[in-house]
Amino acid sequence: MEIRITGLKKYYKSEGNIIKALDDVNLVIPSNRIFTLLGPSGCGKTTLLRSIVGLETPDEGEIQIGDTVVWSSKKKIFVPTEKRSLGMVFQTYAIWPHMNVFNNIAYPLQNQKIPRAEIEQRVRKVLEFVQLEGFEKRPATRLSGGQQQRVALARALVAKPKVILFDEPLSNLDAKLREETRKELRSFLTELEITAVYVTHDRVEALALSDNIGVMRNGRIVEIGDPKKIYFHAEHQFVADFIGRSNLIPAVVEKKDANGSIVRTDIGQFVCSQTDFDPQSKVVVCIRPEFVELVSADEPKPVNTVSGIVESMVFVGEVYESEIKVENTQVMVKFPATVDLSPGDPVQFSVRPEHCLLVTE
Amino acid sequence: MIKSQTRLTWVLIAILALLSLSPVIMLLIGSFSKGLVQIGDFTLDKYKAVYGDVSFYGVLGDTCVFVLCSALFSTVLALFLAYLNNRTDIPGKFLFKVISVVPMMIPHVLFAVSWGLLLNPSNGILNLIFKDVFRMSHSPMNIYSIGGMILVEGRLDLPIAYLIISPAMASFDVSLEESSRVSGAGNIKTLLRITLPLLRPAILAALILCIVRCLASFAVPSVLGMPANITVLATYIYKITTTGLIPDYGKAAATGMCILVLSISLIYVYRYLTRSSEKFITVSSRGFKPVVVKLKGARIPLFIILLILLFVLIILPVLVLLYTSLVPYSMVPSAKAFSMMNLNHWKSVFTDSISLVSLKNSLFLSLVGATLGTILSVFVSYVIVKVKTRSAGVLESLSFLSFSFPGIVIAIGFMWLFVRTPLYATIWALLIGYIATYLPYGIRPMTSAFIQIHSHLEESSKVCGASFLTTVKRIIVPLLVSGIVSGWVLMATMFFRELSLSVVLSRPGTETLAVMILKFSDDGLWGKLSALGIIMIAISTLMVVSANLIGNRFKPASD
Repeated sequence: MEIRITGLKKYYKSEGNIIKALDDVNLVIPSNRIFTLLGPSGCGKTTLLRSIVGLETPDEGEIQIGDTVVWSSKKKIFVPTEKRSLGMVFQTYAIWPHMNVFNNIAYPLQNQKIPRAEIEQRVRKVLEFVQLEGFEKRPATRLSGGQQQRVALARALVAKPKVILFDEPLSNLDAKLREETRKELRSFLTELEITAVYVTHDRVEALALSDNIGVMRNGRIVEIGDPKKIYFHAEHQFVADFIGRSNLIPAVVEKKDANGSIVRTDIGQFVCSQTDFDPQSKVVVCIRPEFVELVSADEPKPVNTVSGIVESMVFVGEVYESEIKVENTQVMVKFPATVDLSPGDPVQFSVRPEHCLLVTE
Repeated sequence: MIKSQTRLTWVLIAILALLSLSPVIMLLIGSFSKGLVQIGDFTLDKYKAVYGDVSFYGVLGDTCVFVLCSALFSTVLALFLAYLNNRTDIPGKFLFKVISVVPMMIPHVLFAVSWGLLLNPSNGILNLIFKDVFRMSHSPMNIYSIGGMILVEGRLDLPIAYLIISPAMASFDVSLEESSRVSGAGNIKTLLRITLPLLRPAILAALILCIVRCLASFAVPSVLGMPANITVLATYIYKITTTGLIPDYGKAAATGMCILVLSISLIYVYRYLTRSSEKFITVSSRGFKPVVVKLKGARIPLFIILLILLFVLIILPVLVLLYTSLVPYSMVPSAKAFSMMNLNHWKSVFTDSISLVSLKNSLFLSLVGATLGTILSVFVSYVIVKVKTRSAGVLESLSFLSFSFPGIVIAIGFMWLFVRTPLYATIWALLIGYIATYLPYGIRPMTSAFIQIHSHLEESSKVCGASFLTTVKRIIVPLLVSGIVSGWVLMATMFFRELSLSVVLSRPGTETLAVMILKFSDDGLWGKLSALGIIMIAISTLMVVSANLIGNRFKPASD
């Protein structure tokens, strides 16, 4: 089911200042895909999610789920949460401590007045789906973090909602479990025909899990795209920086033709394959450390070669993370673990034109 | 949902305003009215009469000594006990729970009477024993004195102080102390430089609450103070309402205003302190036990002190009542006394129709009142904790107001109100007065229970399609059971032993147990009093135990 959000606004007053939690959000979340709202804390992503589910009332705008308008300031429509037929996994999981696993999961079905026999069957099936067979009688207080997470997922899925919402559901798990659960969640969700809206501040989680990512900042959606587009072809400096480590170097466009453009920076000229900025426009060149290639002194210099002095080399296992001083600018790069360089050594590296990303400030 | 919450908030505000603002307003109007109980002809005469009287200032002086010393005594004792329990390796830690819970079952008026029986100068049992053993011509101790009053009152407010200080001590971040130890400070230095300063808000809060309770205390001043002609404000007001054919309730109201104003101001200071103490004391989520101070050589002596306290505070008062209910007249325990024991006092209680009426009244007030009060508390706490609108803030302030109500003063306010309604001299007048005055004691445990319920638990129920009522029934109430039980128990035991409101509001036919005890005490019917008192203690105990059993049955299954 598609979710259509139009002109959504929500302002808070805090100690005299007005905080814009949602600042005119317009968004279409496509049907049966995994859509992630990504952003730093306080960017409004959770407020947006809670507005969709109806736990928060925005000040202005409209929310439509499928064909139903569930909230509209103009039409004065407010469908209460319990009537929206959604599923949600909370950050704390919100497993009711006074009920066992069966009762926790059966709860949404009991609210629909479904016969007991069918409830039992559906709970058994969903438990099988989340790989917790035979856990029905287990008290909710005797579950591990990972099991609680699965029970919460089972409860959100059991009533077969068309939309399921996730509020940072993996942030309470340890790193290894988080990685496993992420993979599992993706396979669960792609198996079901369901629209998933997922809120997180973890960029790796967003990249690994989503079909589409909406990056938020200060109550606004800055950019929307699939993971690769967000990673390789971000349009804004904020997005490029948030989705991965990058060197952000201010630049001015010098020339532009059909094949690409040339920009001037403090550390020299760069050829970029992008053509969306006119000459003389001020831009930022974004170079990710992992796209930098080492150039040895005896081979011919490829395009975009920069020379500098190694400032630091930190071995982190798979690669060296190194800082290189070029003129008065520090550039972060990643070199293969086999490289033999020490601080003080001169070094040359290059960046391919398609990896010189031009973004707006 | 939002709309129904707003409506609920305003309904509750209306109920609470009716309960707690109306007696205050009536008190204010009454204090400015010319007549004895008639409203109108506004004048300052009553104030001039009260505050122009020199003897009033003597009363005020005695009140200050009594209140401040008692409050200090209970706070210091509570601090000592809380430290022993939470921070040291003293044996028998369950005794602390006994000391903090059991006194709820011994009504204040009985406790005061039992010490009167033990230490009155003419035939107090302990005094007689001391005279005998040490061959003294005079009784060494006189409980009918300001010192005696302070000792007894101080112990009565001990549980309240303990219940504030002990959790604060138990929950605070141990690393703050550990870093002091690492920095080279010893146990004592850490206690003085780190622990106590950090606990200052909790300690001050306990002290202030004790002061408010002592100001309102009526049982001790009336049982132990009146025989020695020591009058404090509470008994001063009582005397006004019992002299003359038609007592001057206007003068009583004018006197009461000063206690009320003082209490309300103190309670708001208390509220300010406890609010900042939440920020002050960082509650550690890590589940390990705080550092234990090894008492070494002091362990056994301190444990013996604890046992003596337990004996003096709980066992001795109950024993003396039991003993007095069985012997025909006051005498030192001896073989002769034991041979003369009989059940005459018990028989006379069970054949005394007024005693039975009072028993019935108190049971009704306690069971029905606590149940109604608990239901109201559940809704009020829900709004205070979960609905964070401005009107919810108004409700919170209102619910806090009656926390400061001195029973006897507010009873005068209710008197002015009820005398104009058919409720006057009925049991319902008492019921309304009780709930209005003691509601905060039901709200507080409920509020902390609500705070523990993470809002996600409730929200996920909504997402699962449950209506508001289903959420209340299936999620909120089951999670609240322990809060509901402790709120109910607290109110039921308080209502069962209630004295200071009842002494003003009860009329022939609506006597309560505590009022009967006071009457027997005035008439010197110690045997009958003791028998009735033991029945009171037994019923209180039964209520506490059975409520906890029921609560345990509904408790969520946990590991």
